[in-house]
Amino acid sequence: MDTPSVLSHRLRQQYPQKHNHYRFSEFFQFNGSEGTIADWNGSRNVFTSEDFIIGLLEGLEEEVGAASAAVMYSIGLEWGKQDSLFFHQWFEREFSVSPQQASLMFLLETWWWPFTAQGWGRWEIDMADRKQGFMFINLFDSAVARTLGDVGKPVCYLYAGLYAGFFTEMVRKQLSCIEIQCYSMGETYCKFLLGAKDRIDAAAFWLNEGATAADIENRLRSEEQR
Amino acid sequence: MLSQLQPLVREVDGRYATDTELMFLQNYLQTARQRFSAYHKNQAAEVDIIRLVKQKLNATEPHLLRRGKVDLSAKWQRDTIRVLRYCAHALLVADEESLGERFLLWFQSIMRSFKAQHSCDLTYKVMQDVVRHYLTPEEAELFCPILVQARLLLGQ
Repeated sequence: MDTPSVLSHRLRQQYPQKHNHYRFSEFFQFNGSEGTIADWNGSRNVFTSEDFIIGLLEGLEEEVGAASAAVMYSIGLEWGKQDSLFFHQWFEREFSVSPQQASLMFLLETWWWPFTAQGWGRWEIDMADRKQGFMFINLFDSAVARTLGDVGKPVCYLYAGLYAGFFTEMVRKQLSCIEIQCYSMGETYCKFLLGAKDRIDAAAFWLNEGATAADIENRLRSEEQR
Repeated sequence: MLSQLQPLVREVDGRYATDTELMFLQNYLQTARQRFSAYHKNQAAEVDIIRLVKQKLNATEPHLLRRGKVDLSAKWQRDTIRVLRYCAHALLVADEESLGERFLLWFQSIMRSFKAQHSCDLTYKVMQDVVRHYLTPEEAELFCPILVQARLLLGQ
């Protein structure tokens, strides 16, 4: 996890115009004397083991039961909102252009790269239905799902919250997100649906009724065509 | 080569390295002269290489570097020079393996975000033909696989 801080990164100060700085040895700076790890953008990072992720999720479930999913989503939501503001700052500093002036896909790829470097997985955004008010995000190698393995249900609530929070801040419109397919359900990658709350609530209902990600995609698209 | 040097320094601690451990260094030394020569030729011919690749692209697909009324030539040129320089550097230090991690994987996502895969595919295909005019066959044998790697990652 990272929280914005004023930690400086020596390589970044040396090469402020370098954009491909996502190699492990370049992106992270290990400050041995302080026992801290800073990343390229000055965030404080903490490395955790898979045991930590399991402990966190199982501990939370033991404390609050089924509400643990909502708690993880809320944590992600706040994280995403804060990260959106943080991203705004470092994007402008690195590219000397405001996020509003940048190409949308370039902006989003740039936002996600630090997450990839931190081990949260690679992503792919499907914006084909953006004008209809929803979009899909495919996530490869989710840190949470990879750790928990095949447990037969979606587990990436933290990511769903993160996407909802980030995009809500970015478009200044209340958005929700749901994971409609998960590596932990035996699929090869995770898939998220992002959109207005009523649409996400509907998808949650269909998912509970046993619909697959493909069913939900088809249903949303056919509704738009009517 | 460089990425293999660090493990060698780390692992060969208080003993002599085995022949197997030194193999990559031997291989590098065998091709080092060609790598230096090809690197300098690339450097000297960079402007011409880019101009020729652009000419060939224009001849094959006149609208490749345009999107509607927008001329993307200047942007294409900046991107192509950057890739050529990273590839030349990988050739020099024989570090083809880490080229992806250092640069190409990031650049792939950027090229995809601008839907530039088709132009990348053609650019690095054509570039292989162009650089052969400036390099000896042995030098081209070392450099073209790096361009193939760039084409493979950026072109899809």
